[in-house]
Amino acid sequence: MSMGGPSRWCRLIVFLFIAIAVSACHENSRPHSLKIGLAEEPRTLNVWLASDANSRKVLSLIYQPLYVYDPDTLDLVPWLAESMPVYDAQTLSYTVTLRDARWSDDTPFTSRDVAFTGNLIRSFQVPRYASNWRFIDRIETPDSHTVTFYLKKPMAAFLSGTLSTPIVQEKEWAGFAEKAKTTEKPLATLINHRVQHPVGTGPFTLEQWRQGAFLHLKRNPHFFGTGKTINGRLLGPFFNDLVYSVFGTSDVAILALKKGDIDMFWWPIQPGYLSDLSQQKKIRLFTNEKSALYFMGFNLRRPPFNDVALRRAVAYTIDKDFIVSRILQGQGTKMYSVVPAENRFWCCTDLPRYGDDMSRQNRLKTAYQVLVDAGYSWAVPPVDAVGNLQPGREIRLPGGQPMGRFTILTPPADYDPHRATSGLMIQEWLRELGMPAYARPMAFSSMLQQVKGNHDFDAFILGYGRLRLDPDYVRNLFHSANDKSRGWNMSGYHDSTFDQLADRSTSELDPLKRQALVMDMQRLIARDLPYLPLYKPSVVEAVRTDRFEGWVEMLEGIGNIWSMCQVKPVNYDGA
Amino acid sequence: MGLKRFILRRLVEIAVIFFVIMTVLFILFRLAPGDPVSRMVDPSMTPEDARLLMESMGLDQPVWTQYLYYLKNAATGNMGVSFHYGEPVTHILLNRLPNTMLLFTTSIIISALLGVFLGKIAAWKRGERTDTLMTIGALFCHTLFLPWLALIMIWFFAYWVGWFPITGMVSPDVWIDPDAGFVVKALDVLHHMALPLMTLVLIHFGSYLLVMRSSMLETLKDDYILTARAKGLDEKTIRDHHAAPNAALPVVTTVGLSLAFSINGGALTETVFTWPGLGRELVFSVSHADYPLAQAAFLLIAIVVLLANLVVDVLYAYLDPRIRY
Repeated sequence: MSMGGPSRWCRLIVFLFIAIAVSACHENSRPHSLKIGLAEEPRTLNVWLASDANSRKVLSLIYQPLYVYDPDTLDLVPWLAESMPVYDAQTLSYTVTLRDARWSDDTPFTSRDVAFTGNLIRSFQVPRYASNWRFIDRIETPDSHTVTFYLKKPMAAFLSGTLSTPIVQEKEWAGFAEKAKTTEKPLATLINHRVQHPVGTGPFTLEQWRQGAFLHLKRNPHFFGTGKTINGRLLGPFFNDLVYSVFGTSDVAILALKKGDIDMFWWPIQPGYLSDLSQQKKIRLFTNEKSALYFMGFNLRRPPFNDVALRRAVAYTIDKDFIVSRILQGQGTKMYSVVPAENRFWCCTDLPRYGDDMSRQNRLKTAYQVLVDAGYSWAVPPVDAVGNLQPGREIRLPGGQPMGRFTILTPPADYDPHRATSGLMIQEWLRELGMPAYARPMAFSSMLQQVKGNHDFDAFILGYGRLRLDPDYVRNLFHSANDKSRGWNMSGYHDSTFDQLADRSTSELDPLKRQALVMDMQRLIARDLPYLPLYKPSVVEAVRTDRFEGWVEMLEGIGNIWSMCQVKPVNYDGA
Repeated sequence: MGLKRFILRRLVEIAVIFFVIMTVLFILFRLAPGDPVSRMVDPSMTPEDARLLMESMGLDQPVWTQYLYYLKNAATGNMGVSFHYGEPVTHILLNRLPNTMLLFTTSIIISALLGVFLGKIAAWKRGERTDTLMTIGALFCHTLFLPWLALIMIWFFAYWVGWFPITGMVSPDVWIDPDAGFVVKALDVLHHMALPLMTLVLIHFGSYLLVMRSSMLETLKDDYILTARAKGLDEKTIRDHHAAPNAALPVVTTVGLSLAFSINGGALTETVFTWPGLGRELVFSVSHADYPLAQAAFLLIAIVVLLANLVVDVLYAYLDPRIRY
């Protein structure tokens, strides 16, 4: 096998290197292009299918809702709507006046589009949105700028859920929807429809999507907000091109950020990178809170965790300060309610804070006392006769029988090191009380199956990384009607008072009265502890400061519609 | 048995094995804990919403019905629609396949050429310092941990020196530019391909070198080499024209099978270099229980490997006249 003349190979290699070097010198002809790194590629541009965060990062800039959340107050503010909705108690209807806006194809945005969107969701029962539209009786459009929603019954989720649904264009979807209705599976046909050129009212419009490589959005020249001050903010966009690139690992994304290949990495930065990034002169870190809940759940359907005293003793034993400072390395906050504290209007702040600010000795002694009062006993108690701590052994239930070995299921460390390590630490703390606790990391899907599907578990640590601001999920998580296979009430919590409060909260339209109900629901959860809130990690994001400025911080970080409408190139001259 | 009968018999075997693989794949994914919907829902969705989602994916049907649909669709070349992309999986796979083949096929060919070239030199200089250095170097490179090497390569060549792009297959700036022509875009892809290619070649050339060296050492003992020397041929001619072509036969087998397996991409390589190939899709589809995509990807790999085995067998007979079927 001849390898050919070495000189010929050398010439070929040199030629290739020169050619590649020439291509590398290609100038960036778009100075006003914001480059954002994503951890994964968006999967779809079909708004009815998109369930992954990255697809929504793109779609949220194309399809717009009637109302959005204010970044400072987290109140709903008019977006495609011109003003807040007007409620008519007699007809059980809300009337919304629309802003003068145009679609990205330069056709007018009208009330027909809003009605079409609602009717499409209702007729196809689109899973992600249907629950917010099932209680709508009918939608009327008295004129092109007015839309009236008639409700079957009062529903609190109307404002935060229904009115924050992205609106699609009737012209783009009507023909396809009609065809889909004639198929064997209309919903499957709708959500599997390939959207190549989405028409929206948002600040950007799709220019090009090279799957697997990048996604290019261009400024929408017909965006209704451009040059206007909405909610006290002058809106752009102030740059022409927005390019999303994908980075397979955080390591390379951070190298790209440091090198200047991207202006922002739209993904939480792990604590291990922070000291390096904080020393970079041209990089700024933003730390914001998440609307999240990471918690320990108990199986209330079987011993030993069907006893509230035991759950409270566990709550006293857990050192949340340790979890936040050591496991999360300070990038998070302790939680006491199932509603995050940053959701200020709905979070109840006067809840019991089991073990908070207590020393290790006091936590263990208090937990011990709670258990003694409930009738638990030990072969060797964790607190001796004179009040000194000692390793507890062989705890016995109030009936006198030994407590059996129980497991705390956690996701594996490669999926979420925080939850896996927290599980191990909780195991050790409970063993100090003589409890036979075993943390067991398990593949995430298996864990969900065991906890949510089969209800075959003792305790688990799970989390919701992106809770909606409306507190209706509290009802979903603990209502006894949801205690079924695949239901959200994974703990099997049953409390008739809670159920009544929860049912009333869904139909209470007065925000203050609903707030009082939701607070009472949180008090019951904190009393009975089917879930023990542990912590929520902060969102740390990194941007370069040498090309763009003006990022808007809010809950969940700087990646939001306000930022994309307000970020400007450094030294922006208005051109 | 003639070659035609041999090929026909192998094709029948391949069809049977393929059917078994299809069935095993179907069963394996259904036996795996969890379901595709569990990761697509959040607490604001009702169980009714989750049920509708299951229904839209066809997962509400009994497993037997799903299996029969799967066989029926597969027979017509319809491998289903991805749960997450909402697109036919054949479209997704055909979109990713050329990217994987471009990178991995090129890397295998370059690795093999380099391995054969260095392997014959190592064998020729057996026992000398060159042989020792090459053998140790090959073993060292072959045992390097790929993600670590990839990150080091990126850090040094892309970040520190700045010769290559950090990751990806194309530069958005180049591909967005309406003035950029075909040549510029092709060079841009080559520019992005350089680092992953270098990494893969570094990892893989060693195995070909060792195979070639070992085979060449055996060949050099053969009588026809002695005859060549007796005829007074120069050493380079004996090495390159008499010994190397015969010694390269085992390498051909290895390359053939490597090329077939290359279509599964390297999940690690594609992840670290963000190369949009089949390997990344495989990982994604399995981890997100996207049954149609995962099944189709594995079936594609299976059929290519099965056919490649057949091709290698036939090729062997062509290259070595002593082998007859």
